[in-house]
Amino acid sequence: MRPNDRSYLDSHEWAKIDGNIVTVGISDFAVEQLGELVYLDLPEAGATFIAGEAFGEVESVKAVSDLNCPVVGEVLEVNSGLCDNLEDLQNNPFESGWLMKVKIEGDNLDGMLDLAAYEELVSSQS
Amino acid sequence: MSTTTSQLLSTPLHQQHIDLGGKIVPFAGWSMPVDYGSILNEAKAVREGSGVFDVSHMARFVFRGEDVANKLDYALGGCITDQLVGVARYTMLLQDDAGILDDLLTYRLADDEFMLVVNASNRDRDWDLLTERLNGVECSDLTEDGGGILALQGPESLNVLRQLSGDDNFAPAFLGLGEIETDFGTLFFARTGYTGEHGYELFPSAEQIVPLWMALMSLDVTPVGLGSRDILRLEAALPLYGHEIHESITPFDAGLRFGVRGWKTRDFIGGDALRALPEPDKHLIGFTCEKRIPREGYNVLCDGEIVGTICSGAMSVALGKPIATAYVPKNVDGEFSIDFRGKPHAANCVDLPFVPHRSRD
Repeated sequence: MRPNDRSYLDSHEWAKIDGNIVTVGISDFAVEQLGELVYLDLPEAGATFIAGEAFGEVESVKAVSDLNCPVVGEVLEVNSGLCDNLEDLQNNPFESGWLMKVKIEGDNLDGMLDLAAYEELVSSQS
Repeated sequence: MSTTTSQLLSTPLHQQHIDLGGKIVPFAGWSMPVDYGSILNEAKAVREGSGVFDVSHMARFVFRGEDVANKLDYALGGCITDQLVGVARYTMLLQDDAGILDDLLTYRLADDEFMLVVNASNRDRDWDLLTERLNGVECSDLTEDGGGILALQGPESLNVLRQLSGDDNFAPAFLGLGEIETDFGTLFFARTGYTGEHGYELFPSAEQIVPLWMALMSLDVTPVGLGSRDILRLEAALPLYGHEIHESITPFDAGLRFGVRGWKTRDFIGGDALRALPEPDKHLIGFTCEKRIPREGYNVLCDGEIVGTICSGAMSVALGKPIATAYVPKNVDGEFSIDFRGKPHAANCVDLPFVPHRSRD
């Protein structure tokens, strides 16, 4: 089941807020659409992004896709082990397959979709 | 042909693809399975055993008439007049300036009858051009007659056909056409394909296509989608219209001289232009690289200078690494790299094909 404790972008990233730290990943639907993954590029800790900016790339046998940052902030930590363990991203995109943790100023998840709205988007695209 | 979802065509096996978990995507105006779960495993099955592709989206044209061989010989790049009945041949449809409009197979069904199989994406244009060039010939487009084309490919494909026909001595020649008797009637086939493997293209009628597909499934032939088809054809360095070949590429650029047999002396559309062409100054080369897959349109650099763009890229299952093709000037030599969306990565230039052909074995 898709978790209800986070927000989603229409480009299929998720963001889970905990105080001023936001964990960012991609959804099961994104992983399923991409198919067999071959490559993941993540930023360095300390990099800063604005909402909507590409923070990395994920590539599958079929296609390459930008990873869009859902929030404004500075990268605190990246799940760098994931780049050599793409199965984890494929199998656990909501948990151990998280991509990065971002430090934000204030609560700025406005404009993202809640689970119900995201489920509606996914069903319209499947 | 429309590409909007509501007007997509589907093959007679659409329901079978859905039942097998096929991921259906729009392709050249058709709803087609891109994979049934794993592009990579499906490609492997074709190299190691047998796989079947529904390629019923490809256009089937039949041309009939007294002078049809001579007229086709003029209309197409390849020599048709000496094509034997019961044999398939690869050739191209050329513009006046020898640019490639499409590539295709001609199947001589009888002295006065040919079937042509052309790319789905070019169906309308090819039909218009061919019917114009073949004035006075009886022309039929059979693509939507309810039948189709199933490409049975892989080292085990001969055994599969032997099981289907119950004939253990069945052994058709490469590029040969034939018929086998099956539980669902006489089935027409050609020993042709687009994978570089030993393989067959089966042409079931409307009544035969579903039972044939089910029979192949019960013989443990792996269903294979268009995603794997692209990997397999690229490993074999077989050109794809819109990628390695298109209107700005001549058969000589593409290394496809065998597809324009007799070009020095024959009278055909594009022939005068071919004879006037200088030696090509570019050639198609292959690359391997690590991890990331070069995609169409990425720039190819040699010692940091842009020398070409990627035509096709894929994850090679046989080599276990990404592969790609590009046209580069013949005189270029140095360290190659590919620009992956702003990040250059080293690439090794390798001989084509990436995987040796076994289609004649």
